[in-house]
Amino acid sequence: MNRKVGIIGVGMSKFGKRNDVTVRELSWEAVKEAFEDSGLTQRDVQLTVIGSTAYRGTEIYPAPPVSEYCDLIGKSPLRVEAACATGSSAIFTAVNTIASGLVDLALVIGVDKMTEVDTATSLAIGGRGGNYYWEFQMYGTTFPTYYALYATRHMALFGTKEEDMALAAVKAHKYASYNEKAHFRNRITVEDVLKSRVISWPIKLLDSSPISDGASAVILASEEKIRELKIDTPIWIRAIGYGSDTSYIAARGEWVGLNAAREAAYMAYKMSGYSPQDVEYATVHDCFTIAEIMAYEDLGFVEKGKGTSLLREGQTEKGGKIAVNLFGGLKAKGHPLGATGVAMAYEITKQLREEAGPVQHSFKKYVALSHNVGGTGHYAFVSIYSR
Amino acid sequence: MDGIPLIMKYTLPAEELYKPFWEGLKRGEILGTRCKKCGTLYFPPQKDCPKCMASDMEWMDIGKVGEVMTYSIVLQKPQGFENFSDYTIGIVRTEKGIDLMCWVIGTPKVGAKVFLTSDGQRVLCKVRS
Repeated sequence: MNRKVGIIGVGMSKFGKRNDVTVRELSWEAVKEAFEDSGLTQRDVQLTVIGSTAYRGTEIYPAPPVSEYCDLIGKSPLRVEAACATGSSAIFTAVNTIASGLVDLALVIGVDKMTEVDTATSLAIGGRGGNYYWEFQMYGTTFPTYYALYATRHMALFGTKEEDMALAAVKAHKYASYNEKAHFRNRITVEDVLKSRVISWPIKLLDSSPISDGASAVILASEEKIRELKIDTPIWIRAIGYGSDTSYIAARGEWVGLNAAREAAYMAYKMSGYSPQDVEYATVHDCFTIAEIMAYEDLGFVEKGKGTSLLREGQTEKGGKIAVNLFGGLKAKGHPLGATGVAMAYEITKQLREEAGPVQHSFKKYVALSHNVGGTGHYAFVSIYSR
Repeated sequence: MDGIPLIMKYTLPAEELYKPFWEGLKRGEILGTRCKKCGTLYFPPQKDCPKCMASDMEWMDIGKVGEVMTYSIVLQKPQGFENFSDYTIGIVRTEKGIDLMCWVIGTPKVGAKVFLTSDGQRVLCKVRS
């Protein structure tokens, strides 16, 4: 990147079913917190990038109402979308705008209201997350089905069990219980996961992230601007890698890992000079429990097929070799698509600044990574951060 | 409060373009397209060959037998499929090396051999007993 870019303010709304607010008030909860966190105001913002998939909410063009409500008129609201990786694509857009020298300071808002339509409608919208004509129209694929296809193959090839996948859900709920902004704060057991309703076998209800509403915001600035503002705790974005894959899932020819995530990770490691061994904290895209296991493998934390070993040995718990998703992950913190990638930057900033309270990880090198997948590996962003 | 509903009724595009595929399905044949210039076989079928920039395609049968690569049984159905019984979606690799999505009839297993067929609307694969 031409200019170093750092995170200087973060905010996040409470995630969950948020019938108490529209997309505007919900966004403001996160934006207000990011302004307070940074000590800045709307006047300092040169560009606003809004990440939102929007389609499940009443506001299907959310950028104008959100920027109006947040008093950001004139700050070039730009909306970007990359399915579940929307938040990361919004950060990518803002980072590159700063790195290129076009602006010095940008605000990124990730927001989605997913609960304004019923579950069957939400599944039909998500099912179009692949190739409409040759998948959804003919076969009625749902989003859980896409990940279930990966889970079945992973189980057949590597002996991964439903009990192994359940461990990821148990871990997520355990850490979400400490997070007052999480959608679910109840602890669950492996038994609870196995007994929960089958959605798309082998994926069950408690293997799945919830349908959530939520918003998150980050303020990004160039190194020069950070010095000028005398901010002494910036979190530096060392690299953002990206990758993509076919829309038609059958054409991918493997189904045990996500090529897009591997490509994104390779690019991020190469760009930053860090290796998987350097990563001390990670947020991974655990929209379904199998996704967390595949993420460990795709990110190089462990070899392909061995992802469950990290869960069984507790290596990705607090105090483990690489702590993962100590705010509860998508699985329990919630997964409002547009907000998720931005919430990952929020979580990593809190961790690297040592502001994570009861779930604070102890760092030696202060290197962290976020892994945000769009669709079922249709897109992926892997970002590396340091203090 | 109920919001104002947004009712969307779609007309599928490219009906003429993919007519041979839909007609093939009615005969129980599964057709892809092959580029006459460079020989690349496409499934799902497509009109253009982005590899050699040509758009001169021929329709071609992609095979009758295959192997189950993976599958999932859908119990929680999306809007539009509420009235269907639980269905099993599979990915099958045909004898010609084409990977495709289909509905599985019978009890699947990864690696199971299957016959490809159709109900006229979609590709089905039947697990060989």
